Parts: sequence; C-alpha cells; structure tokens
Amino acid sequence: MSTMKTTRDVKGVGISIPRPDGPEKVTGRVQYVADIQAKGLLHAKLLRSPHAHAKIVSIDTAAARALPGVRAVITAKDIPHLKKKAPTRAHAVLAIDRVVFMGQPVAAVAADEPSIAEEALDLIKVEYQVLAASIDPLKAMQPGAPPVADAGTEADTSEALAHSAVAIAQSEAPAKAVNISQQARLQRGDPAKGFAEADHILEKTYRVPMVHQGYLEPHAVLAEWDRNGLLTLWASTQGSFNTRSEVADVLGIPENRIRVIPVECGGGFGGKIRALCEPITAVLAQVTKRPVRYVMTRREELQAGMPAPQVIIKLKTGVKRDGTLMALDAETVIDSGAYSGAVLAVSAVFLGSMYRWPSFDIRGFEVLTHKPSVAAYRAPVAPQTIFAIESQMEQIARDLDLDSVEFRMRHLIQEGDPMVNGQPWQSNGAKQVLSRIAEHPHWKTRKQWVAAGKNGKRRGVGLALGGWLGGLQPTGATVRLNPDGSLAVLTGQVDIAGTNIALAQIAASAYGVDTDLVRITTGDTDVAPVTGLSAGSKTVYTVGAAVLQAAEDARRQTFEIAAAELEASVHDLELVDGKVTVRGMPDKGITLATIGKKGNLYMSKTPPVLGKANPAFTRQAPGFAAQLARLELDPDTGEVTLLDFVVVQDVGRAINPMGVEGQMQGGAVQSIGMALTEGLLFDDRGRLTNPSLLDYRKLTAADLPNLETIIVEVPAPAGPFGARGVGEPPIIPAPAAIANAIQNATGARLTELPMSPERIALALVNGAH
Amino acid sequence: MRRFDLALPQSLDDCLKILAEQGGRAKLLAGGTDLLPQMKNGVLHPALVVDLSGIARVRQVQNGHGLRIGAAVTARALEKNPALRGPYLAIAESAAMVGSLQVRNLATVGGNLCNAAPSADMAPPLVALEAQAVIAGPGGERRVPLADFFTGVRKTVLAPDELLVELIVPPPGAHSGGQYLRHTPRRELDIAVAGVASQLTMADGRCAKARIALASVAPTPVRATAAERSLEGQAVTPEAIERAAALAIEAANPIDDQRGSIEFRKHLVRVLTRRTLTTALQRANA
Amino acid sequence: MAKQVLSCTVNGEPVDVLVQPYVTLLDALREDMGLTGPKEGCGTGDCGACTVHLDGQVVASCLMLAMQARGREIRTIEGLAGTGALHPLQDAFVRHGVPQCGFCIPGVLMAAAALLKENPRPSQEQIRYGIAGNLCRCTGYTAMVAAIGEAAETIASQRSAR
Repeated sequence: MSTMKTTRDVKGVGISIPRPDGPEKVTGRVQYVADIQAKGLLHAKLLRSPHAHAKIVSIDTAAARALPGVRAVITAKDIPHLKKKAPTRAHAVLAIDRVVFMGQPVAAVAADEPSIAEEALDLIKVEYQVLAASIDPLKAMQPGAPPVADAGTEADTSEALAHSAVAIAQSEAPAKAVNISQQARLQRGDPAKGFAEADHILEKTYRVPMVHQGYLEPHAVLAEWDRNGLLTLWASTQGSFNTRSEVADVLGIPENRIRVIPVECGGGFGGKIRALCEPITAVLAQVTKRPVRYVMTRREELQAGMPAPQVIIKLKTGVKRDGTLMALDAETVIDSGAYSGAVLAVSAVFLGSMYRWPSFDIRGFEVLTHKPSVAAYRAPVAPQTIFAIESQMEQIARDLDLDSVEFRMRHLIQEGDPMVNGQPWQSNGAKQVLSRIAEHPHWKTRKQWVAAGKNGKRRGVGLALGGWLGGLQPTGATVRLNPDGSLAVLTGQVDIAGTNIALAQIAASAYGVDTDLVRITTGDTDVAPVTGLSAGSKTVYTVGAAVLQAAEDARRQTFEIAAAELEASVHDLELVDGKVTVRGMPDKGITLATIGKKGNLYMSKTPPVLGKANPAFTRQAPGFAAQLARLELDPDTGEVTLLDFVVVQDVGRAINPMGVEGQMQGGAVQSIGMALTEGLLFDDRGRLTNPSLLDYRKLTAADLPNLETIIVEVPAPAGPFGARGVGEPPIIPAPAAIANAIQNATGARLTELPMSPERIALALVNGAH
Repeated sequence: MRRFDLALPQSLDDCLKILAEQGGRAKLLAGGTDLLPQMKNGVLHPALVVDLSGIARVRQVQNGHGLRIGAAVTARALEKNPALRGPYLAIAESAAMVGSLQVRNLATVGGNLCNAAPSADMAPPLVALEAQAVIAGPGGERRVPLADFFTGVRKTVLAPDELLVELIVPPPGAHSGGQYLRHTPRRELDIAVAGVASQLTMADGRCAKARIALASVAPTPVRATAAERSLEGQAVTPEAIERAAALAIEAANPIDDQRGSIEFRKHLVRVLTRRTLTTALQRANA
Repeated sequence: MAKQVLSCTVNGEPVDVLVQPYVTLLDALREDMGLTGPKEGCGTGDCGACTVHLDGQVVASCLMLAMQARGREIRTIEGLAGTGALHPLQDAFVRHGVPQCGFCIPGVLMAAAALLKENPRPSQEQIRYGIAGNLCRCTGYTAMVAAIGEAAETIASQRSAR
C-alpha cells in the first residue's frame, strides 16, 4: 500500500532539503553581475578622493578624455541636474565641491577596457585644498569640530526602520555639536538613587571598530538604457525594489522607467541594501549609450564601501551584593561616517531591557565623521551592544561571586516585560536558549576542563546571550497552479540566505503537495509583486507569511473548482496525493493536474488558480541565541585557539533545519572574526591603513573549529508555522562569549575589539585586569 | 592594471640583454604574487614586464656541498623538497608560511627576497644560514652575502640591469639545527608581525656558531649579533637562551603600524627568539 | 601593445587564444574564454575565489599573467567533473547544503580537489588547512569541511570498488 499524503504529511516544512540552486553553484554556472557579457560593454572606474576632507578647487579631465578607448569622463559639473544637497550616500553620486571621506568618488570614466579606464583616472588632474578632518567620533561630537555634513542635512533613519522597526523618540541635538546627527535619551526610575543604594558599581567603556560585512562578491552593477528611455539595472542587491526607488530618486526619473533585475547576490549581510554605485553607472550608460559595467575592487570595498559603524559604549552599573539590579547608566556613540544612517534604537533596547533594570538613563548619539558612511551589517549594532552588556553582566557575576547563568536568568526579560521604549516584549525564547546552553557538557564541566590545561597554555570557557527584535516589511506573493498540478510561486525576494527553499516548503505544506512540486521564482521589479528587503531576519517571517497566505488562497480556489466538479461541499474535500477527493470516498476525486488544465484550456469556463497575498505586519518575533566558546590561549604571544563553539538559537520553527544551521554557523563565524581579528583601521588623517584581505583578517577554515548548532523551537505566534527570523541572532553573542572565555583563561577583561593577540599579550604583560 | 609590454626571454642571456637595453623601465616577473598586487594598486607602473618563467637555470635546486637554490623556485617546491631537511629545515619552514597554498605555488624565493619587504619570511633563515646571493649582470656574475643584499624597505643592491639568479647556502657543519617562527594573527593567509630564525651549530656541547635573524622589526631583515655573541662558545642552557632572547631585542628597530606596535614586536622578538633557539638546539643535537 | 597568442591546455582541450599581454590568467579565462566559474574576490591573492589548477596545483589565477600559462595545463571549476555528472565533491557540497551565496564555492572546490589528489584521506585539520587559502563569509566552513571529508570517503570507495 502506498503511503497516503495529506496536507499534514507532505514533504514540506521541517525537513532538511538542499537548496535547488546547489548544482548551478557548485559547477560555477551561476551568473553574478561580473559574469554577464553584454554586446558593446564598457567598463567603468571611479577616481576617488585621497583626502578625508578637502575642497575641490579644480578638476581637469582633458587628458583623460583624449586617451583612445575612453568613452566618457564625468564629473559633478556634467550632471548639474543631480546637483543638490546629498541627504544620503547614494545621492552623493560624485563630489561637487567638497569631499568628505577618503575614497569618495570625484570623477567617473567609462572605457573599452578596464586598463584603459584606469589609465584615464591617472590622467585626471584634481586640485584639492585639504581641510581639517573629524576622524575620532568622540572629538567629532565636540562643539567646534570640523563639520562633516552641509548645514541643514537631515538624519537618515530609514535603515533603523527597515531593520528593527523600533521607534524611539528623537531629541534635539545641542546647537553647537555640528556632527551629532541623531540622538535619543531614555530614562526610567531614579538612577541616582539606585546607584546610591548599590553595593557594587562597575564602570567600563567598550569599543568596537568599524568592520566590513565581508561579502566575497564586491559591489557590481551593469546598466543599460534602451532607446525608449528605459533603464535596466542588473544588480547585486538585497532588495531590487529598494534599489529601484533609490536610483529613481537620485536620478529624478519615474520608477516605471527603471527595471531592476536582481542577479545572484554574492553575499550582502546588510551591505547591499542601499544603492552605492548604481546611480553613477546608470549615468555613464546614459552618456555613452552603451551597456556599462562597474565592479568595485576589494580595495575600494574596504576603503569606500558601507561598513558597520564604530561603536563606543560607556556603561555604569549599580548592583546589590546579592545581585539585585539597581541602576544602569549608558552612553552609546555610533560613528556613522560621512552620512547619517545608523541604527540607534537597537543599542538602547538591549542595553536597558534585555535584563530588568529598575532604573536607567540611556543616551545614544549618532556622530558624523570624515570616514566612509556606514550601512547595516547583520543585526546592526547588536553584536557591539551585546559585547558591552554581556561582558558587564559576566564581570558583575564574577566580582560578586555569583553563578553567571543564574544571575542572568534571574533578571532576564520575558514576554510582556516593557522594553526601554515602553513597548512590551513579544513572545521569545531568551530563557530557553540560556538554560539550554547552561545544560551543555562544555559548560557543566568547565572547571575541570580549564584546570586540565597544559604546555603553558591557558584555557577558558565563556558564554553570552543576545537577541534581535526581528524586522517587518509589507510584501507580496502569488501562487499559481500549473496545468500539470505543480505550483509556481512568485515573489520579488532576493534569495541571499537560502530562503527560497524555505518559501517552497511553506507553500508545499500550506497547499498540500511535496516541495519538489513547488518552484519559486524571484522576479524582477517589472513582474514581481512588491517585496521588501532581504534583511532584518524577516524574509521567512514576512515573505513566508505572504507565501503561506497565497498558497492557502490557491488551495481554497482549487477546492472551490473541485467542489463544483465533484458536486460536493468544499468542507467535505481533502487533498491527498495530488488529488482532491471527497472525504471517505477516495474514488470520487479530481487531480490537481485536471484542475490546472481546466484553467488553461481554450473556451474553458474554469478560472485559473491564482492565489495571492499582500500582507503588512505589526507583530515582531524576537529571536534569541546563546553561544559558548572554549578556547586555549598562548599567554606569551596572545594567540587564541578556539577549540569549541556552540550556538543555541530559538528559531521558532525550523522550516529547513539544514538552512537554519547554515545561518547559525555562518553568522557565528562572522562575529568570531569581529571578536578576534577584524577591524577597519584609520589613521588620524582618515586614511584606511589595512585596505586588503591580507590585513583585514576574515577568519580562514584553519582558524576555526567545527561549530555545534542546537536548535530550540519556541513558536512565534504570528510566524508561518511558528517560524522566527534566523539570520541575525547568531552573529550577536560571540564577541561577549569570547571575551568572557578570555577572562576565564587569563583574568584579563578585554573591552576593545578585536581581541587581537597583541591586545591579549600586552594586557597580560602589563597586568591589565 | 595599467597596460604594459611583456617580454618572454628564453635564456639568462636573453634576459640580461633585455635588461641592458630597457632595465630602467622594466620589472622582473617571477611568481608575480608581490609584483601584481603592487601594479594593480598603482604603486608600480612599469612600461615593460620581463617574465622569468622561460629561464631554466633559475628554477633548479642542487644539493651537493651545501645547497644551490634557483631564484625562481617556488615556495611550495622548497617546502616539499627533501634536500631542505636537517640543518636546512628552517628554509622549508619559512617557505611553508608564505601567503596561502595558492600563493605558495606561484611565489618564488627570489621574488620574496627581491621584493625586499621587511616581513619577507624566507629571508631570516637564509640569512641565518649565511646564504650568498648570486647576481648576474652585464659584466658577469657577482656574489653578495644575503645579509648585505637588502638596503632598505623594498630596496636591494640589485642594479636595474641585474637579476638574482640563485642562492648558495654553505653547509653549516655536522651538528647544526635551525628553526623559523613568526607571529601572525591568523594561522594562514597572513603576514609576519615579527619573525625569528635561529641557527645553532654545536661542537663538544658548546655553541660553535649562533645566527639569529629577525623579520618585520626593522627596514630590512637583520641579524641579532649581540644575542649571537652571547651564545657562541657557551653551553646553551635555558638561562643562556633567555639572555640571548633579551639581547635580540636590541637588534629590533620596529615601527608602529596597523600590523603591530613597537612594544608588541619587541616582546615577540624575545618570545620567538627563546622558542626558536630552544628548538634549534634540539635539532642540532638530534 | 599587440595581442599575443596563448597556447595552453584548458580543461583537457588544447587552446590557442589571443590575449593582451597585460591581462591576468583570471581575466583571460573569464573574458576571453568565457569561463566565468573562477571569480575575482580581491585581485591580490588573499581570498582564493579565483583558484584554478595549474599543472594540477592550486594557484591564484588573479596573480598570474595569462601569458605565464603558455604550455601549461589549466583546469577550472568548469572542468572539474567529467561530462554530465557532478564530481563527488560537488555532489557532497550540494547534499550538505554548503553553497549559500556561492561566490567562493568554485575556488573552494578546486582547492579541495587538489587536496584530495595529494592526500586522499585527509584529517579534518588537513582539510581545514587545505582550504585555508579560500575565504568564505557565509558558511562558517563547518558544513564545507564535513562535505569534503565525505567526498574523500566516496572517492576512496569508488577507487576500491574498481
């Protein structure tokens, strides 16, 4: 007897299914932007400012224009219609009269060959008048610092809204602090009284440098205009509709004149949300009337990409001897680089309301400096914030001789507790992941394991907890029944994390067929329903919900057609093995293929099945992760060997456990890099001193152990099948977990990332505790 | 990369002829792993690139009385060459540390030396083994002790019409052992923050010769001569090693940069000198 | 600057192709021969995305001039498997769900293939060092290492079955 498949037991949600694009990727056949060949293709290069802050006195492009093979040389003068105050980085297509960070584009060239374009850049003469620059954010926020933005430029909070959907009231900046672009203050209770009554007061300042998202594929775009004035962009983007809107806004053309085709994205992690090189490439294509491709070099990516901000967090905590929390005073300074756009709210929420502080005073500042402007990087500002608060919590527990898990557990929030902004915490698995990691043998046996260290190496075990609120964005999806009974799902969602297979599994389970009968298509902006960003850990949570609803809609339509054909009530029907039958009468039925065909027959009176959904959302689903590090450390050289790393994460429901584990592992390794080796290093003139992947050290396979992943499932009430977003939580706790392990090994409390061998060795030599 | 002409000489004589005519505008290309990044970044812009891959002589390793190592032998070939064992092991160790595997299969010992980066990994063990550089030019060949080959950051004694042909490593004696160690934040794909090669030759329980060479702590690879002198003629006790390690710091004149501070680099010189001397002693006595 | 004739073997086929003297092997493969499997992630040999085999050894094709490959044998990801089927490494990568963004994958696979040729039963540490010249930002390497280990077993058992 064959196994009967019903809606409940189809091969859908909850199964590890390899991504269907795997074979194309392992054979090198998948096309990224730089792989696309176009007839008459020109290559673009940008001349970039060598100074962090300078007035442009003159630009002479005559020699560059005269070089054979050069098809266009553009400066701001050539695009006067774009000349306006640049509210965002994307609007600063080419510097007009002032450059505000090293690497800012000043001129653009399109040529027959990349080599010719480079030689043309060499021939452009720019006279600069170098101006004093604001590099250190703490100095930049002082009155009288060299100003970065033009007077009257407004703060850009779109990133914050896209990512965390937490609103915090903005307060006014002091008039003289010209470089403070956003600020907020949140208070509760009476911190002064709390500190006065506390037995233990701890003040620490935590510092995290700018870090790069590190996607392997540099920014790339191919632009072509047709003779009807329609612009097509082949883009490496995390959101084709967002790219379309930004490019339309910058170029001042209607959105319906632009088609954005999202090409396979070779990694984004937040860095490919905002437009960067699309507008200038479109301009070059318009001027030359040829397809133009621009691919950033890695050096340009590091010098002038859109990294994560430098974050400085000053914490003061007051606690009773028994561990009762009394007061928190916190100040977060986020160095946003030359343009506003950092996320301020996340830091306040997790500093002040991951644990139940009865009183707090939390201040946040976004500061502009003469450095490349920032963008999102997987859980923007969360790893930095958790590094601070989870280092602080561990230190308090250590100072007071409290069990560090019990101490955290006692104060940890749960559903309904107020966040710093007064909104209630939604259902979450914070307690579950913390207790799960505390049960891990690596944690339970830590004392014996540490004591067994030998050969002059020191051992340490540390853990930390972190969370993410989960993003929301309206979206759309359609589900069609094909004439052979298979399903076609259409969204505009760019698959950067393996989400398409999860969406297919959701459609399969919701409609009632196996996943291999579902094909997901990511459409371009001309054909797909409007779809949000692939960012903020919200693709499965929101697009998944849209697909779920669209599949249910398609199922309802299918059943209505079947009911008419079978002369039965919709309520008596079931879908089994690709056939809609009357319950209890397996012989009386109609196959999906028949229904599909009827919707596609000449003169047929049966409508085609077209399920659709276009939901908006209000309820977030926070995702928490706890991580544990076991490491060995050479006290002479400061070299850390990470021996074990455990990731425990509440994913609500693992739609595709294999994909979920991939996210957990990849996210963790990114922040292990942030913890140990990564950082963009600027000198006091704002020049990046490590613009290569030799000196910007992403971790290699040889630096890492196998990562252990433990999935916890606390269903999200509004998530599709209970799922929560999974992309962001795993990047959050690692730096704190590793800092805590290093302290366990050495007694030294490191408060600045990366915790490089140098910092560790010198801390031990100099006895910093 | 900006455009350039490419010459493909098939013999040393061809190559010297090209250099004699156009040496001033040319750059020699061996593995390319240092040259191409500098050309891509616009640091170097030669009008002519001369590819050495057609010249057989610079690609050989001969093991007889001492070693002769062709300048265009790759790091990977040296790492795997069975002749680079025993007293010569430190050379293979340093070759195994350069870049990544993908780089080591291209990068050459001559390129590593001629690029003359202070961080060149293959320089310290060759200096510690008292290697001689064989340089060919229009007037024939000359030999220069490798310790005198480097004249500054990215500067050597090579004239524009000369090229490094091979390295001659004299046999260091019966009971000789060495080690090269470096510190890098990552395990692979990295560049030395500091590196130390130590070579000890023992006779009758005492140190007959000590050579200690440092990478990445001065404009050129340097010998720690005071540390060497403190060991020679002495029994190599842990105390003597510790003393030498402290003295090695005197030879270091590092800069503060994004890869490491002066303080950390000096600290590393001491740690790595101690460790390499300890291993060199074990290997010499083995 | 006239184009020069590059004669070499690419994926088992003899090839004569006109290239500019100043282009890298990577650019010649991608732009002149249409083999876009090897990727440029950094252009300076620090990421491994451009990894190809040169006479069976892994090299960073972004650090070689095309003309340096004259007379030599080059294999790219396009030539890793025979016609049709996937190489056991490719198959294991698919089944373990290794590729996420996929950009590093061709380079990693070429590094892994060279490793298994030299060392058919590598330890986990040897696998990690074997692909240490290849940066991946998505996977955290864990699934990658497992897939390479499994492919090594598959290849070994195929060999002993013969």
